[in-house]
Amino acid sequence: MDLAPTISTLGLSRRFGDLIAVDGVDLSVAPGQFFGFLGPNGAGKSTTIKMLTGLLAPSSGRIEILGLDLAAHPVEVKRQIGVVPEGMALFGRLTGAEFLSFAGRMYGLDRETAAKRAVELLEFMQLADQPKKLVTDYSHGMQKKLAMAAAVIHGPKVLFLDEPFEGVDAIAAGTLKSMLQGMIARGATIFLTSHVLEIVERLCSHVAIIHKGKLVAQGSLEELRAGVEAQTSAGSGDGARPSGEKLTLEQIFLRVVGGTRPAEQELSWLG
Amino acid sequence: MSPTVHRRGQLTAIANLRWRMFVNGLRSRRGKMELASRIIVTTAFALGGLGGFAFGIGFGFYFASQDKLEFLAVLLWPILFFWQVFPVMATAFTNNPDSSDLLRFPLTYRSYFLIRLAYGSFDPASALGSLGLLGILLGVSIARPLLFPWTLLVVLIFALFNLVLMQTVFAWLERWLAQRRTREILGVVFILFMLSFQLIGPMMERFGNNPHPEFGRATEIAARVQAVLPPGLASNAIAQMSHAKIVAGFTSLLFLGVLTLAVGCLLHLRLRAQFRGENLSEAAARPAIQQVQGLQVGWELPGFSAPVAAVFEKEVRYLARSGPMLLTLIMPIFMLVIFRLGPMNPMRHTNFLNRAPDMAFPGAAAYALLVLTNLAYNSFGGDGAGIQLFYAAPISFRQIILGKNLTHASIIVANTLLAWIAVSYFYGVPRAAVSVATLAGILFAAPLNFTAGNLLSIYSPKKRDFATFGRQNVSQTTVLASLGMQVVIVAVGTAAFFIARFYKNLWIAALLFLVLSTVSIPLYVMVLSRIDGIAQQRRETLVAELCRA
Repeated sequence: MDLAPTISTLGLSRRFGDLIAVDGVDLSVAPGQFFGFLGPNGAGKSTTIKMLTGLLAPSSGRIEILGLDLAAHPVEVKRQIGVVPEGMALFGRLTGAEFLSFAGRMYGLDRETAAKRAVELLEFMQLADQPKKLVTDYSHGMQKKLAMAAAVIHGPKVLFLDEPFEGVDAIAAGTLKSMLQGMIARGATIFLTSHVLEIVERLCSHVAIIHKGKLVAQGSLEELRAGVEAQTSAGSGDGARPSGEKLTLEQIFLRVVGGTRPAEQELSWLG
Repeated sequence: MSPTVHRRGQLTAIANLRWRMFVNGLRSRRGKMELASRIIVTTAFALGGLGGFAFGIGFGFYFASQDKLEFLAVLLWPILFFWQVFPVMATAFTNNPDSSDLLRFPLTYRSYFLIRLAYGSFDPASALGSLGLLGILLGVSIARPLLFPWTLLVVLIFALFNLVLMQTVFAWLERWLAQRRTREILGVVFILFMLSFQLIGPMMERFGNNPHPEFGRATEIAARVQAVLPPGLASNAIAQMSHAKIVAGFTSLLFLGVLTLAVGCLLHLRLRAQFRGENLSEAAARPAIQQVQGLQVGWELPGFSAPVAAVFEKEVRYLARSGPMLLTLIMPIFMLVIFRLGPMNPMRHTNFLNRAPDMAFPGAAAYALLVLTNLAYNSFGGDGAGIQLFYAAPISFRQIILGKNLTHASIIVANTLLAWIAVSYFYGVPRAAVSVATLAGILFAAPLNFTAGNLLSIYSPKKRDFATFGRQNVSQTTVLASLGMQVVIVAVGTAAFFIARFYKNLWIAALLFLVLSTVSIPLYVMVLSRIDGIAQQRRETLVAELCRA
């Protein structure tokens, strides 16, 4: 069965002066996918996620979320998505409960529902024990959990997460992962960027890799693995491995973006 | 590489860094506007500085030629006050970067200390204070050329004292501002301190009209105390040397040097702690007994949508958690008290409001509008990274702005009501014509202020950092534009009241304001209706500026 994509972009580009940060990206994310969007630093990941969530206007191209054109129907799209952007979008001088209740109402929930969900989310995220504490006084990990809670308070169908596990300890990461897997099980679509490739490999069913603004690979992990292995066997064969051992996502990533460095380029003066 | 070369390289790199930051800041259109505003502000400062310079030359020459050099203290005290108070009062005009950012580099403690002093010497207060001192030096030297070397030495040490004291004040203020609770206590103390300055004038006026023997005695004690404080010591050092009392002159200078060292030690204590990697974490200790999270239902505003009510609630909570801001907002009432403290003798009404009590209510209402500029002209400044939620949420920007303006309007209404009650108590119930004219004036001025404030909040945003004082990073464009708008509003308001008083009928002022509000209200509505487009256009600038670390 061929389902219409939840997220699709066509020729998505973004220029900053002379720099082309995102260059003609065609993305397609099917409903219910846990989609990892990878790339080296400065490749255009955050720029893409900002454009997909309406935080940044594209220079050209088209974005469709849940079949709706983002440029034509921004409010309808935003109502159905949740975002944890790069800066977490928190209001420091509110308490956790006040902030979640505020976020819920900004997403159109009524006062009672917003308040009830705020309490539930704080308990789930283990943030409920200090109700008087202001967000500005939270640790980085607590802020990440709160930002995640705010992004899901309205029950979005699509969730965009920019580096959700950055600076989060193992316990908090476990809490976040279980919540995200629960959402996928209930049919939501998740689009995340992360530098922690092990987490992406464990969580995501599909991956896209962006490099220097261009999309260089897209598909399921198996499709990407098969593509890289085919290229390797057709090439010089420097990636020869014992038979039966699968390529890890890190190996796939490094081969796709050409991250290996010749030994003679190493910094010989380093102690 | 020798340590001296190493240090010189670091200092050159820091100077280069500051220059590159300045040049790179000019790449954007907003950066160019900031530069233009900065040139205007700097020109105004330069004119003020030249005034101080000329004043210093004139009085320095006069005191030296009249052999009254001990009176130089009269010039040195204002310079000291200006040098210390101006950077704290006018954070909008100071832009000192955070030198502690440099701690990650292998700087020696001495380099770090010197950099801190160097940053301070670029402050407008230092430049203007130095100009004043230079004027005094020239004035004294023209009248008594032989005193030049000694006066130069005294003036240099006095300048160094001011420079070190300013940095010490800032370093300790920032220590207390680093934590929220001490920050708020300090904010309240600071505003009360500033208010106490406002009380000096009325008190002097009041006591000056009647002979008060205690006042005379207090003045004598104050004169003796000032003689052992830096301005007194500096002027005494020059005066004693002019009378060839070398030992006395050296003793005064020595004491001035000792005070400079003592203040330097206080600065050293602070900078040493910073240099050692002091951590002023705000995280509170985990309470032993876990508190239960209750259900907190948000506010509702009849007639307004849920997002508008949510923004209104958020704004009120933010204000309620900022003690200094709250105190600022009730300043109009304090001002009425201060003005009322003028002479009570009805035959000697020198105070303007005592001469024209019907202007007390309009004056207090105008002041209420004025104190709001800080909030309304940079209304996203306190939101920081939260701005992204506004853009990500499925609501129009108009609703967010409306929620913020509603908060500001509520403050004006509350302040006006309080002002009316206070005026009624202090000066008698304002006449109906005065009350109506004032309310009509607000009806004209508030929408105009909101219109300008909304546009500037989007076009020239600056992240407001609650933990800094001298590095508050205020947009010079906003400062100038808000100043311009206030001048226009005050001029129009004064003209309307002047015309009404001229014709001895204050209803004319009410009528004029109502006519003017038929322009300002539609203007506000028109800008509000276009704000979504403007906010979408400017979203990159807003997000980039407010999410800045």
